[in-house]
Amino acid sequence: MSELLVVQDLTVTFPTTRGPVDVVRGVSFAVGRDETVGIVGESGSGKSMTSLAIMGLLPKGATTRGSIRLNGTELLGRPDRELRRLRGDQMSMIFQDPLSSLNPYYTVGLQIEEMYRAHRGGTRKAAREVAIRALGHVGLPEPERRVDYYPHQFSGGQRQRVMIAMALVCEPALLIADEPTTALDVTVQAQILRLLAGLQRESGTGLVFITHDLAVISSIATRVLVMRRGEQVEYGTAEQIFAEPEHEYTRMLLESIPRIDDSLDDPPHGSLIGSPDDEVIL
Amino acid sequence: MTLLRAESLTKRFVSRGPLGARAEFTAVDQVSFEVQLGETLAVVGESGSGKSTTARMIAKLMDPTAGTLEFDGEDVTHAKGAALARFRANVQVVFQDPFSSLNPRHTVERILMAPLVYQGIAPKGSRREHAKELMERVGLNPDHSLRYPAQFSGGQAQRIGIARALAVNPKLVICDEAVSALDVSVQAQVIELLRRLQRESGFSYVFIAHDLAVVRQIAHRVAVMSKGRIVEIGPARQVFDDPQDEYTRTLLAAIPRIDPEWDRRRRERS
Repeated sequence: MSELLVVQDLTVTFPTTRGPVDVVRGVSFAVGRDETVGIVGESGSGKSMTSLAIMGLLPKGATTRGSIRLNGTELLGRPDRELRRLRGDQMSMIFQDPLSSLNPYYTVGLQIEEMYRAHRGGTRKAAREVAIRALGHVGLPEPERRVDYYPHQFSGGQRQRVMIAMALVCEPALLIADEPTTALDVTVQAQILRLLAGLQRESGTGLVFITHDLAVISSIATRVLVMRRGEQVEYGTAEQIFAEPEHEYTRMLLESIPRIDDSLDDPPHGSLIGSPDDEVIL
Repeated sequence: MTLLRAESLTKRFVSRGPLGARAEFTAVDQVSFEVQLGETLAVVGESGSGKSTTARMIAKLMDPTAGTLEFDGEDVTHAKGAALARFRANVQVVFQDPFSSLNPRHTVERILMAPLVYQGIAPKGSRREHAKELMERVGLNPDHSLRYPAQFSGGQAQRIGIARALAVNPKLVICDEAVSALDVSVQAQVIELLRRLQRESGFSYVFIAHDLAVVRQIAHRVAVMSKGRIVEIGPARQVFDDPQDEYTRTLLAAIPRIDPEWDRRRRERS
């Protein structure tokens, strides 16, 4: 499998009043073409910062070290102008809350057209056809009509479909999905996961799937990176991580997941877990 | 012993359109259930199922449009004044976001002493001690009683919310998505805490949640809601292992699971 994305020894540092803080420290992983890599971790683990570093979307003031190569090209240190050309074209990202990623004043069609024409040019009419096709492709019924809808006219799951349509309209090599199903109901989540897996198989896009939910990761990823407090805890195939975790923290995380197959009479969870005072306050 | 009885609870919301057109929406439609003393009834459903509206009605934070609510053998549907105060001394709520339900300008001690003052529970001189005991019961360090909510992590803050609910020694604690916002390792700890507290004190929970796997860890009985109605209610084991309703089955099937083979291999290794 040839690697599409190679992240090596990535460190992200933020300046604070108490001096610089590394929010990501020495993280390395790779994503193959046609592969889904999961990044899991609890709050403050640095999983979202890792993805923002790849997209070149880190907040101002953050500095990066290490290397991020997409298709062999180094992304770190490239001017914003060039990254902007890559974003949406070579790499795209979808977020947890589609409502805050869509402009409420424009129809979704217009927003997809804008995105498409920014990278591919062409007439508005042609772009509209592309938008309609993209909306149909993500399973929205009657895309010819929905293309003229505003974001608020869609349900949460439909909005996430719109975001996916927009992210994939230029057929990027890499898609980063940051908690894309976290805000959705469980039945809708199942639909979106199926959709993402299907689209990925079809188009061969490399997918980075970020979540706090290990069960979701296990159903979609081939390789998994476990993060904690900015550090890489463990990285391996899904089977290794879930069946033969090496690290104590990974085992603890897996023990903590509530299982639908366990009942009240089973031994309590969290027997490996320390006291509440062990929690970090960020 | 039946602690709480909801009979045909209904909540309709009326809205007016721009031209004054009346639109009616039934959020909860003739919902009936009972809660026994010492048991946990979980109410599960997806967004818009009416579970939170149900929680608000049985917490008396919202009046039902129709139906009756009985607590401890007393009709409390329209309870006011002294009767309502009596109800509040027995029924407490733990909300999803501890930081928005705890006063950020009050110390933990003050937060935990407030219900004691309102309900005239512990005598004046002993309230401080009582607050510290509550902190110990929920696994917090009583030496931190003069800290403010912002100085605690999410899981610790939720423990403060639980301690506050326990301050009046309630018979019923309503948990509205009380562990939904917590990281999975912290969530496991808080669930274990909730179970321990019930074992120790024998009160009841109405546990509102969207996460069925979490519900399985805590519920004795489960009510599944969809579109304002209870579609299935029964012992947890039955609802999870032998669901009768089509919607319950869909809901259970949609839950992402870790390959059981992987789980088995992991457990054998450790």
